[in-house]
Amino acid sequence: MSNSDKLRSAAEQLGPDGLSDLRSRAAENFGTTGFPTTRMEDWKYTDLSIASDISVAALDDFRVDLPPSYEIPDIEAHWLIISNGSPQVGGLSAIDGVDIALLSEADVDLQFDLPLADLNLALLSDGLKLTVNAGVNVDKPVGLLFFDDADTDSLVSQGRVIIDVQKGASVQVIEFHTTRGDARKYANVFVDLNIEDNARVDYARLQARDLSAVQTARLSVAAGRDATLRHFALDTGGKLVRNDLVIDIAKTGADVEFNGLYLADAGQHVDNHTRVDHRVGPAHSKQEYRGIIKGRAVWNGKAVVHEGADGTDAQQANHNLLMSERAEINAKPELEIYAEDVKCSHGTTVGQLDENAVFYLRTRCLDEEQARRLMTHAFAMGVAHRCPIDACTTWVDSHVEDALNALVAEDAK
Amino acid sequence: MLDIKNLSASVGGAEILHDLSLSVGTGEVHAIMGPNGSGKSTLAQVIAGRDDYEVTGGSVTLDGEDLLDLDPEERAREGVFLGFQYPVEIPGVNNAYLLKAAVNAQRAHRGLDEIDAFEFLKLAKEKMALLGMDQKFLNRGVNEGFSGGEKKRNEILQMAMLEPRLAILDETDSGLDIDALKAVAHGVNALRSPERSIVLVTHYQRLLDYIQPDHVHVLSGGKIVRSGDKTLATELEERGYDWLKEAANG
Repeated sequence: MSNSDKLRSAAEQLGPDGLSDLRSRAAENFGTTGFPTTRMEDWKYTDLSIASDISVAALDDFRVDLPPSYEIPDIEAHWLIISNGSPQVGGLSAIDGVDIALLSEADVDLQFDLPLADLNLALLSDGLKLTVNAGVNVDKPVGLLFFDDADTDSLVSQGRVIIDVQKGASVQVIEFHTTRGDARKYANVFVDLNIEDNARVDYARLQARDLSAVQTARLSVAAGRDATLRHFALDTGGKLVRNDLVIDIAKTGADVEFNGLYLADAGQHVDNHTRVDHRVGPAHSKQEYRGIIKGRAVWNGKAVVHEGADGTDAQQANHNLLMSERAEINAKPELEIYAEDVKCSHGTTVGQLDENAVFYLRTRCLDEEQARRLMTHAFAMGVAHRCPIDACTTWVDSHVEDALNALVAEDAK
Repeated sequence: MLDIKNLSASVGGAEILHDLSLSVGTGEVHAIMGPNGSGKSTLAQVIAGRDDYEVTGGSVTLDGEDLLDLDPEERAREGVFLGFQYPVEIPGVNNAYLLKAAVNAQRAHRGLDEIDAFEFLKLAKEKMALLGMDQKFLNRGVNEGFSGGEKKRNEILQMAMLEPRLAILDETDSGLDIDALKAVAHGVNALRSPERSIVLVTHYQRLLDYIQPDHVHVLSGGKIVRSGDKTLATELEERGYDWLKEAANG
């Protein structure tokens, strides 16, 4: 059987249900396109052949009935569980003001414009649709737990969530990615977030997968009139990680701010692509990503100010700390401006710790390792403190500290 | 206290200090003056342990202990304090955190327990009052966004907290207006003690109007070309440095 046939067969095994037609269409599409390759500009530095290898191995012995497995993180939230790609209906707790439905039972319009979206649909056992009702202020964060567990057989999992935040509502969303088990895992996750007029979303994407895991994830945001988004992304895990954050501003007054911190140890590859489309003005977007790198990282931040989007204010910054001579960063800010009256800025830096500051701290009695650790920590926390969800703060602080200690400690060896 | 014998040091192959000797007795305040490029800052940095400079000869001892063998943090814990000409801004590192970490590293070196949080705050507030510093500086990033005067006061605050045996203050007067200069001088004078030696590195005599030195040395071309009492500083202010450079070369 060819790989396309295996994909079609797997898609069939997942039905029959309300998604059957979509799955078979998506499987056909993906059979033609396949994975993105490094010949494509958007994928120049990130080679997905390992994701392809894991997928092929998983399809060889495809199972639709994987037992659920998860462990709730120590963060206070209404947790919704997606284990090995399957929403755990039994674990769905009711949340005041939020309607929760399975995609197979909901009336939704799913896109077919990207190969990875096709792969996602073709192998999607099911997804979730959340509707935050107009005017509701949800009492505590809604957590989406993507938990993958595989001990022996390679695992490929798809996650799909659609979140509609209706007019004037306000919600905090945590997207949490983690794994268990030694087998190779590839997760492909799509989240669509629609923020209607005057609504507000605080969002934290926390990725702490194991160091052999592969992840491709995409969050697409549509921002309504005077909508507000505060987004923070943290990546410490994964062997190969690619995140896309795509924000579309088609109504005036939107205010979006997104910040991220990525740690890439030796052997890790972390790629963050962001894109903001300012279709109208005035609107405001601001992003800052910081990286601490021993392995490889990619940051590509694109802001497009379309014709007529006057009054746009778009700022982007990316700062990288290289912790080893073999560390590599491909950083690319891109501003495309087709409007007249705009305020845009971008800045990218790549460097090492300021040796003058290290010496300064040593003259204040701190030993060299302590000085380097303190400065690296301060660099990381400078952006981690902008995580907009207080319930995550303790977890983020201690997780970043542990990850940094692991990254710095290897220097001593 | 501090004994420097025949010290030579170079950076990138260029010798900056030549065969320099200097003794600073316990409890004494010495001023080292000299034109730009004479090696004043290099001397201060070599004593503190900056490894950009290569020591090619001579010795530096503190109460008989060889300093050149020690890392910068070991020297600091032994009681050497360097007040920087350009204090470094470290965004994200909290000023109070650094002060406490510094005090605790020094206490650990002396075999003492960590300072109690309440004691620390009390001590810091007391020293800040001495320097006319607002307490809000404790919660700001180290020197982050501080004015020139605030940075220099912060240096003296660190000195006051660490209570060094030997303090070397490098151009502590540069970039200060008269009020800030008086505040810094007041802080330094309050820290004068029979157990503590202070070396003031300065280009101008101005600072010495407020902190009276016991001895004044002139550094030129990487060595000490003249030593005297505080009247030497006044003489330098009137005559400049050129006559000494000529004397040294001739």
